[in-house]
Amino acid sequence: MSITQTQSDNTHHISVNGRLDQAQTPRLEATLTSLLDAGRPIIIVDLTETTYINSGGLRCLVSAWRQARQQDGDLVLCGLNERLQEIFSMVGFDKVFAIYPDFEEAITGIKNNEQ
Amino acid sequence: MSKKHFLTTPGRYAEIQRICQFVADGAAQAGLDETAVFNIELACDEASANIIEHAYGGENIGEIQISWHVADDMFVVTLRDNGQQFDPGRVPPPPSSQNPPQADDIDSIKIGGLGIHFMRKMMDEVVFSRDPRHGNKLVMKKRIKVK
Repeated sequence: MSITQTQSDNTHHISVNGRLDQAQTPRLEATLTSLLDAGRPIIIVDLTETTYINSGGLRCLVSAWRQARQQDGDLVLCGLNERLQEIFSMVGFDKVFAIYPDFEEAITGIKNNEQ
Repeated sequence: MSKKHFLTTPGRYAEIQRICQFVADGAAQAGLDETAVFNIELACDEASANIIEHAYGGENIGEIQISWHVADDMFVVTLRDNGQQFDPGRVPPPPSSQNPPQADDIDSIKIGGLGIHFMRKMMDEVVFSRDPRHGNKLVMKKRIKVK
C-alpha cells in the first residue's frame, strides 16, 4: 500500500493505493493524525486506488472524521469502488461521511459547503 | 466432502494477509466468483483480527489454525484458537444504512464490533463453539453458486 499526500490551500488530498487492512492502516492513521494535530483540517481521503478495506480501516477513517469535525474541519471521501461502497453502506457509514464520486467533485462539494 | 487444506500461523496482524490469501485461493479454486472470494477474504480477515485482539488479547500469544474444504455446495472455512472464549451475544447490533450511526453519538458507535457483523453479512453461516480440549472453533460457510 502507498499513501500520497498533497495540499492545496487548506485542503489536504490523501490517496490510498492498495489494501487498507490491519497491516497498512497504521500508516494512514499516522498521516491523518499529523494533519489533525496541525488543526482545522479539510481532508479528502481518495479511495480510487483502494482495493480493500476492513473494519480497522473504517475505524481509522471514522476516528479521523470525528476529530476533524471537533476541530471545525472536515474529512470527506471520494472514489469508492462498488465493493467499498457496499461495505460502507452495510454499516451505515455511507450516511456518516460525505462521499463523492471523484476528487474534483469532492473539491466542489467542499467549496459549496463553505459558502 | 473435498480434501481439507490446512494452514497454521502465529497470531500476528502481519500474518492476516497470508491467511486471507490462503482462503481466497481456496475459494477461487472451489469455483466461487470474485465477489464471493472478496467476501470470504473480508470475513476471514475480521475473524483472524478478532482472535488476535479478543481471544488472545494481543499479538504473539498463540496460534491460529485455518482450514478450508468444500462440503456439498458449501465452501467451509474453520478457524481455531486457544484463547479466551468469544461470546457473540455480547456484540451490539450493527448500525446499517437504514439505521445509521448518528453524528452526535458517533462516540458511542461500537466500531470495534464491526468485524463480527461483516462476518455475518458476508457469509451464509457463522457458528462459534468451544470445547475444553481444542479451544475456540469458528465455522463459516459460503454457498457455492453455479455460474
